[in-house]
Amino acid sequence: MRRWIRFTTLVALGLCAVLPNMWAAKVGDPAPDFTASASNGETVRLSDYRGKYVVLEWHNNGCPYVGKHYKSGNMQRLQEEWTSKGVIWFTVVSSAPGKQGYVTASEENEYLAKMHAAPTAALLDPSGEIGHLYDAKTSPQMVVINPAGVMIYSGAIDDKPTTDLEDVANATNYVSLALAQAMAGMQVQTPSTRPYGCSVKYADTSH
Amino acid sequence: MPFCAAGVRASGAAIPHGTVELIAENQWIAAGYSVNLGLHFRLEKGWHIYWINPGDSGEPPRVEWHLPAGFTADAIEWPAPRRLGTSSIVDFGYEDAVTLIVPIHAEAYLPAQQTAQLAAEVKVLVCREMCLPGKAHLSLALPIKSQPPAPETKIEELFSATRKSLPRPAPKNWRFSIEGANESFVLTVSLGRKITQAVFFPLVESQIDNAAPQKLLAADSGFRLTLRKSDQLLKPIEDLKGVLVLSGDQAYLIDVPVGKLGATVTDNDIGIRSAKFMEEGQ
Repeated sequence: MRRWIRFTTLVALGLCAVLPNMWAAKVGDPAPDFTASASNGETVRLSDYRGKYVVLEWHNNGCPYVGKHYKSGNMQRLQEEWTSKGVIWFTVVSSAPGKQGYVTASEENEYLAKMHAAPTAALLDPSGEIGHLYDAKTSPQMVVINPAGVMIYSGAIDDKPTTDLEDVANATNYVSLALAQAMAGMQVQTPSTRPYGCSVKYADTSH
Repeated sequence: MPFCAAGVRASGAAIPHGTVELIAENQWIAAGYSVNLGLHFRLEKGWHIYWINPGDSGEPPRVEWHLPAGFTADAIEWPAPRRLGTSSIVDFGYEDAVTLIVPIHAEAYLPAQQTAQLAAEVKVLVCREMCLPGKAHLSLALPIKSQPPAPETKIEELFSATRKSLPRPAPKNWRFSIEGANESFVLTVSLGRKITQAVFFPLVESQIDNAAPQKLLAADSGFRLTLRKSDQLLKPIEDLKGVLVLSGDQAYLIDVPVGKLGATVTDNDIGIRSAKFMEEGQ
């Protein structure tokens, strides 16, 4: 009831701008379900992967923060390491058509092949729907979901918010930490951090 | 460019969609004195760089100094930033042009030399829709003299204009309180006059929701500002530190304890009778 009152108040004030943010899931909440087209032509539904760990990686191939993790081979290493341990890894592209980082399925496939990237699939989110569900603000923002479908991590990929390739080696990787701790039956020690990177290029009308 | 004095202004180095140059407020430096240097950024229309807390994306410029023996550099003095971005992602930064002032100190006894070669390695992220990292190596040869440093008049104007946009401590008679509600912090300020425009910039990341509109309740002798908490704020905080910009250009550095008992600034303190709600950040 309280939420509804707030909702109507906001609409009355013309503040629909903040709604995506207010409804977005937080760490500890059930991960919102979605259906998306993958660049490999398949349709992916998140809830089909209940029972497995799922990583969401917000991606923009022109962002230098993303570039740091791909040019250094860090992202590919993480994808290989964790998918080999049964983790489902979705790269998510939320750039709107006409915005920087927007890709067609074939452009994304070309990029994945060129970079030797190894996610389970790359999800195309040109409407920004998945991005808003998870309140993705930057690329590369990372989300980890546990087998029960609960968000156990959201935030930065690591603790070095720079574009310098040499910073990768000495960084503490929050995604690996969250997965390793959760798989060992431990509480995730750093469940939420400020995501760093380039802003997600949503459509102008979607905010 | 109106500035041409040799020795105080190195030529600008290119960064993506702009330039950065190293400038000095004085014509020379002397042992035991301090001189303000400035990193003067100029950007093409639509491009921006970031404040010390960049907000939802980006990162602040970083500088590494290479100074001769006997010289030390202070931290950057950051002018008040602006809110940049859309309504779901908001960054804090600067468009067009900005000067980041860095005071440089010379020890009382300097090794015998005629000029001090002051060099800076600057790393900066420049963004519009896309972001491009830039690097610049800047250096400035400042003469060393025995008499106190004299200002370089034309450049001094640039520094004094920049100084006006630096946040200063709030007047002693202003009163502040912050109460933490479920989803927001409410900042109440009693300052003896009506304020119809106020924006808060948090110095610490992940305390308030950068993109949320800041709701202002303007009263006769003060105001209330509602700041939505960040989703990343998982533990209570002791104080909220940041820059409060009033009426668009008066910037104050504030550090207010959260929910301190007995320290609440009341409705009466701000003359609430004729209060009016307004929105910032839309």
